[in-house]
Amino acid sequence: MIRPRACVATGVAAGMAEHLGWPVTVVRLAFAATSLAAGAGLLLYVWLWALTPWAPGDERPTRRAPVAWLLVVASTLSLLGAWVVSAWVLDGDEGGLRWWFGAVLAGVGLAVASGAWAGFVDRPDPERGPRHELAIRLSATALLAITAVALVFGDVAHEYPVPTFAAALAAVLGIGLVYAPTLVTAWRDLADERTKRIREEQRSEIAAHLHDSVLQTLALIQNRAGASSEVARIARAQERELRDWLFDGDTPADSDLGTDLRDFAAALEIDYPVTIDVVVVGESRERASGEVAAAAREAMLNAARHAGGEVSVYVESSPETVEVFVRDRGEGFELGDVPGDRLGVRQSIIGRMRRAGGSGEVRRGAGGIGTEVRLRFPAERLGAEAGRG
Amino acid sequence: MADASDAGRGVPAASVRVVIVDDHSIFRSGLKADLDASIEVVGEAHDVESAVAAVTDAAPDVVLLDVHLPGVGVPSGASGGAEVIRRVGSSMPGTRFLALSVSDKAEDVVGVIRAGARGYITKGSSGADVSRAVQAVAGGDAVFSPKLAGFVLDAFGAAVGETAAASDELDRLSAREQEVMRLIARGYAYKEVAAELFISTKTVETHVSAVLRKLQLSSRYELTAWANARRLL
Repeated sequence: MIRPRACVATGVAAGMAEHLGWPVTVVRLAFAATSLAAGAGLLLYVWLWALTPWAPGDERPTRRAPVAWLLVVASTLSLLGAWVVSAWVLDGDEGGLRWWFGAVLAGVGLAVASGAWAGFVDRPDPERGPRHELAIRLSATALLAITAVALVFGDVAHEYPVPTFAAALAAVLGIGLVYAPTLVTAWRDLADERTKRIREEQRSEIAAHLHDSVLQTLALIQNRAGASSEVARIARAQERELRDWLFDGDTPADSDLGTDLRDFAAALEIDYPVTIDVVVVGESRERASGEVAAAAREAMLNAARHAGGEVSVYVESSPETVEVFVRDRGEGFELGDVPGDRLGVRQSIIGRMRRAGGSGEVRRGAGGIGTEVRLRFPAERLGAEAGRG
Repeated sequence: MADASDAGRGVPAASVRVVIVDDHSIFRSGLKADLDASIEVVGEAHDVESAVAAVTDAAPDVVLLDVHLPGVGVPSGASGGAEVIRRVGSSMPGTRFLALSVSDKAEDVVGVIRAGARGYITKGSSGADVSRAVQAVAGGDAVFSPKLAGFVLDAFGAAVGETAAASDELDRLSAREQEVMRLIARGYAYKEVAAELFISTKTVETHVSAVLRKLQLSSRYELTAWANARRLL
């Protein structure tokens, strides 16, 4: 059994009708009828309300019935009833006192319940919100204040001071309880905030400590072992992982072009004797899954596999274009010398860029040392590509 | 990061006198053993106070300065390294500072560059690289790594097309300076930048020094904000 997310008050009756295959009206009447039997139906209702899950879905539950206002009205009626009964009590009807007392307490309880409903249940409902909550609170407060004043200065107080005092006290306490949801929420927020702050402090303490010890040692290892030795590469990878964990925190890395190429560079550094420096400039709107990223990865892989040593990757995103440069200091090669059956460079870099609407270029690095791959992609194509993929 | 330090013009001048400032003795001795013969280590220090004393005593040509240095009275938000430069920089005009950082995040280094360091190099660099960078700084040049060049391009809005109209404008880079920074960010050494742009290495160095000056003097919001936000590292 599940409760529908768009319901009247709690969704219990609708959920049960759905479950049993009965009309909703019959279920409602059954609940009302059994409630007369010592409140059994009401108990069952509350029990089902507490334990039945919402229907699966993302949207917030919406309630058609203005339950908080109904509670305010019920409270008003109950208090008015008490006022009527008080006339009999003053006429000397001793038995009426219990009814009077009960009606006052019920009125106070219903007013508090309306505040609680508005504060806890209606608060996340986008249809109602804080303005509704405030209106309910003010109504309940006014009702309870009038009740307390009427009790203290009324005639019943002369005849039966003790129960009247108790009822007035209940009304005053009720005013406090109407505002309790706010306090509870605030306290909960405060506790969350504190936990978060403590975690943050702890993290930065650990970060500061590791910065002064482990990161220094890793730097020293790289320094002593020579830039492209195995030990240095492991130390570098380790340092990067530790640094990411320490300083980026829990925030998931977004998959833009720069982040993606950095991650790819880190992976290449473990597999090949190479150190790759990735420099990213500008806000990148290019997605990691795009053609530019694929071509850039191919170029980096080529550089790592065939050249090794130090590789520089430079990504610049301007409003007009995205440019990626991959530069190595290996032996270099002439595109014309590459046999036609070697598809790597022609197909996966230059061809891919051309098909996607950009351009790719492979040339000798500055001073005739190594190779530089240059990818350029006009920014207006990015939107089209994102829409397609 | 050979690229950072190929700035050395390959003429090992008379030996350069250096003070090494780092709070880790292992790192100091490791670096000392690794430096070229052309570099003479004349002093060591492990915190802000001892660094001030050592630099004042030895009056070295270059101070290799750890960015994250413990010390008493370092204002919050500033690094120990920057504090050392602030305390002795003005009284020692002949001494140049080269920042050493365990991190290659340029943001971490901007504070110490703005305090007056002539460049930075990561602690992972080899002894030869550090030696070349020391020689370059001793010769009056600035040492830029690709990361720092990328940061400068970003911070000065070069990617979104901001270009200085007048040459004395501090908050933006001129078109030529942007070209030089782009090539350095792409991993070009100074002489490769020079060949690519058909200018002399000396001109490249002039441009880099001009950028360094802008980095130090500019009040661009991004520069100060970045330096402040990265208080931890």
